Amino acid sequence: MFKDKNKPAMPSSASGETIIAQGVRVEGDFHSQGDVIIDGEVAGSVETQSALTVGETAKIHADVKAKSAVVAGEVVGNIFAQEMLELLSTSHVKGDVVTSRISVAAGARINGRVSMDDGVPVSRGKKVSDDESEAT
Amino acid sequence: MYCYLYDEFIQENKRFERELLRIENRLTDLGVTGKVSRLALFRDAQEMIRDEIERGVSTIVVVGNDETVRKVIDVVTDNEVVLGIIPIGPQNELARMMGIPEGVAACDVLSARRIEKIDVGIVNGRRFVTGLTMPNFHAEITCEDKFRVTSVARQAELEIRNLADVTDPKDGRFEAVIRSAIKKGWGIFGRTQLKESVLPLKSMAIRSEKPISLFVDGEEMKSTRFDIGIEPLVLNIITGKSRVF
Repeated sequence: MFKDKNKPAMPSSASGETIIAQGVRVEGDFHSQGDVIIDGEVAGSVETQSALTVGETAKIHADVKAKSAVVAGEVVGNIFAQEMLELLSTSHVKGDVVTSRISVAAGARINGRVSMDDGVPVSRGKKVSDDESEAT
Repeated sequence: MYCYLYDEFIQENKRFERELLRIENRLTDLGVTGKVSRLALFRDAQEMIRDEIERGVSTIVVVGNDETVRKVIDVVTDNEVVLGIIPIGPQNELARMMGIPEGVAACDVLSARRIEKIDVGIVNGRRFVTGLTMPNFHAEITCEDKFRVTSVARQAELEIRNLADVTDPKDGRFEAVIRSAIKKGWGIFGRTQLKESVLPLKSMAIRSEKPISLFVDGEEMKSTRFDIGIEPLVLNIITGKSRVF
């Protein structure tokens, strides 16, 4: 139906990564072993044992669990990033965050509790440490 | 023991006569000759192959294209015999992905007998090797009974890939690819962009209130529900060095 001459005939995902692009809505318990890229809408729960990338256009109404996560879009729900969470300037998180390491860009919005490592809340609207910051 | 299955279109078309002769000579040179079965109108390919397997044939060589393979895929898989392909004519995507050159050059690949086990997809009880397409996708997909996927774009198409240039046909999964047309900008300045979602899955179900068309390896199926799954490593197929996986 769609023809795009510049597009390769069979694109991406050789590594088994999951891509939820703009224009697609996912509802339910979405679990994956490989990397996950979300640019569309997700409602329910998201879990991956690898890296999660939430694009600028993404709207996630779900609890999110990943090994590491980079967020540029909207997440309404709790985020658990085992190793690292990176919140980019366009990100908007409404929910609690639990992670070992965090990076928050200026302009990022978090409305929720941030807990580091042992799950104990260490900040709420305050700077976490030298390399950990929060913009609300 | 080999059995060569000549498709009907090859026998009818005079332009393949010389190529067939060259193939037969090369097979004799390589010592891989066998019985020749010819497909014809009102002759059931599955039945013919079943009879040959009962007589001791262990390798079925399709001389034709993807459509010829589709005619024998069930019987070959069920009986665990080896499938070989000598591609002739158009629509030989499967042979290309298996690294089998067209025409007489395929005889050498056949003789080398590099056998790979690959996954076979199944839709409503019917097997497919390469994939499925749904050009107008406006249905709901339930993936592995865990989550639902819908397209919110005005136009979208669905493709299920078992064997493609970037997929691994031995991983026990297929890929569901949804291409959604997203309009950026307003009015005449707006441009439509294709956004592609890719989901590696083991099973999925497509449901629709109205009957929808699904093209299975190029052939149309119509229904309100499609149950799609994968049978891991059930097809033994002879491949060439330049196969895509």
